[in-house]
Amino acid sequence: MTISPNLVRLVYVSRNLVPSAEREAAVMAILGASRRRNPAMGVTGALLFSEDCFAQSLEGPMAAVEALYEHILLDERHDQVVLLEAAPVSQRDFGDWSMAFAGHCTQATLRFDTLVATPLDSSRRVLDVLRGAVGRAAKVLA
Amino acid sequence: MERIIEASPDRDRGPALCAACPARIPTDALTGLVDRSAFRARLEVALAGWQPDTPSPAVLMVDLDRFKAVNDTLGHPAGDALLRIAAKRLRAAVRSEDLAARLGGDEFAVLLAAPVSLEAAAKVAERLVELLGRPYMVQGQAASVGASIGLAFAEADCSTVDALIGRADMAMYQAKADGRGRVGFFSPMLQERAELRRQTEQDLRAALPLGQLELFYQPQYELALGQLSGFEALLRWRHPLRGLVPPDDFIPLAEEIRLISSLGEWVLRTACTEAARWPGTMSVAVNVAAQQFESNRLVGIVAAALQGAGLPGSRLELEITESALLNDPGGSVTAQLTALKAMGVAISLDDFGTGYSSLSQLRSFPFDRVKIDRSFVDDVAVVRAIAAMGASMGMRTTAEGVETAMQLKNLRREGCHEVQGYLLGRPLPASAIPDTLARQFVEATLLKEDT
Repeated sequence: MTISPNLVRLVYVSRNLVPSAEREAAVMAILGASRRRNPAMGVTGALLFSEDCFAQSLEGPMAAVEALYEHILLDERHDQVVLLEAAPVSQRDFGDWSMAFAGHCTQATLRFDTLVATPLDSSRRVLDVLRGAVGRAAKVLA
Repeated sequence: MERIIEASPDRDRGPALCAACPARIPTDALTGLVDRSAFRARLEVALAGWQPDTPSPAVLMVDLDRFKAVNDTLGHPAGDALLRIAAKRLRAAVRSEDLAARLGGDEFAVLLAAPVSLEAAAKVAERLVELLGRPYMVQGQAASVGASIGLAFAEADCSTVDALIGRADMAMYQAKADGRGRVGFFSPMLQERAELRRQTEQDLRAALPLGQLELFYQPQYELALGQLSGFEALLRWRHPLRGLVPPDDFIPLAEEIRLISSLGEWVLRTACTEAARWPGTMSVAVNVAAQQFESNRLVGIVAAALQGAGLPGSRLELEITESALLNDPGGSVTAQLTALKAMGVAISLDDFGTGYSSLSQLRSFPFDRVKIDRSFVDDVAVVRAIAAMGASMGMRTTAEGVETAMQLKNLRREGCHEVQGYLLGRPLPASAIPDTLARQFVEATLLKEDT
């Protein structure tokens, strides 16, 4: 992926409403949909979920990210969407991934209430977790 | 995430006004929703097809909260982008038989055209509040607004477009007044309140021409000499049906409808004329509202009032509150106060302690006096602090709302210069002033005995 002049990144966290028994299937469905749809939009990103929340980073052309965010916002599998960050960036973190999956995170710091309390710190923390997980996955795949 | 609650927000859910005339439905160019005229036309149709005592159509008035802040901080293009997104969310959340419209600015409306229950309509409204309140991403940046929604149903006595929209508006304003980000429901009480307000407004506009306004005068006493020093003029409205209307019930309204300046001008003229009848150096204090400074006419009005009454400027005192100084970027208020002071008029800062109580404001003009708000009369520490501050800045201090001998004693001890309150005298009609002047020595004794 090349650097686009209007490249933006969005990081949100939301409350996960999927019952734990159905969580894995739900996440797989989300990832499948993302991988089908995102390449055409030029959007890449990564997703994680914890006990009570989803956290996702989307990066791509401004208009595509905005449209995708609005679409995601209306999904009934989550609510209380909090935008941790929305800003122009010079490069992508997950350029190789239509939607990387960082898995099920159990750290206490990735609980919904903790994350929304300090949006800017949380954005960095979520991105670190996503990058770390994706980096490890890349090594395994290499 | 794929599964969408009601429908894809991208699916066009434009209104199907009537099958025979699909062509020209007036739409709002920015959002693609129908505009006000189309909304009213569609509501008209819905009302025409409705029989009283059957489930009725409902109107939701939707107003975004804090939208102006988005325009101000992110710019108008971002504001427009946010309105487009809000319109999409609205459209996504209503049924295909309902109609979402943009009435103008950040004001939207939804017509629940097919009859719905109160519960169902409330649920739609609650959902809209929630959806519209979710964070927005506009032009690559995060933005947030809220939504206040008013809900009203057609009823036997409310079956016209204007009446129903009016009720939904009333409910929306109530939602705003109750703290925003919520749904307000129309109720007859809201209507009564709105009607009372409208009636009061109409009556108030006529009060001055009809001679229903009066001034009452509350005595003010100088503590060191123990004598009557003057009166504060207080505006009263004698309503033909309601009797004496308390100032809190009409002065804020007079400010809101921008009537306060003409009332204030009358107060100045009347008070000066009255004070000219009093003996010696006795002064009259007149309250001046922030709005009276706006037209830059106040100095001329005061000069004319003094001249017309033959009252020296030194016997007039103008009381202003901090709010008059708050919005004075060009220094126009300060300039007017300076000109008034040059005419010998004393300037006092009223209600001190209840607002910002800003020291920089106290320093921005050489006030002659600070008036300590009545709510502090029992708080010795506050009284002491304000009196000391006044003394060190060369201002006299007056305490208001003195009701007990104990309060009087404390105020004297803490160095207050003047006092007023029910203990020493209630506000009186002008006709009762000669009596008070005759009795002032009796009260002077009370003041002295207190020490």
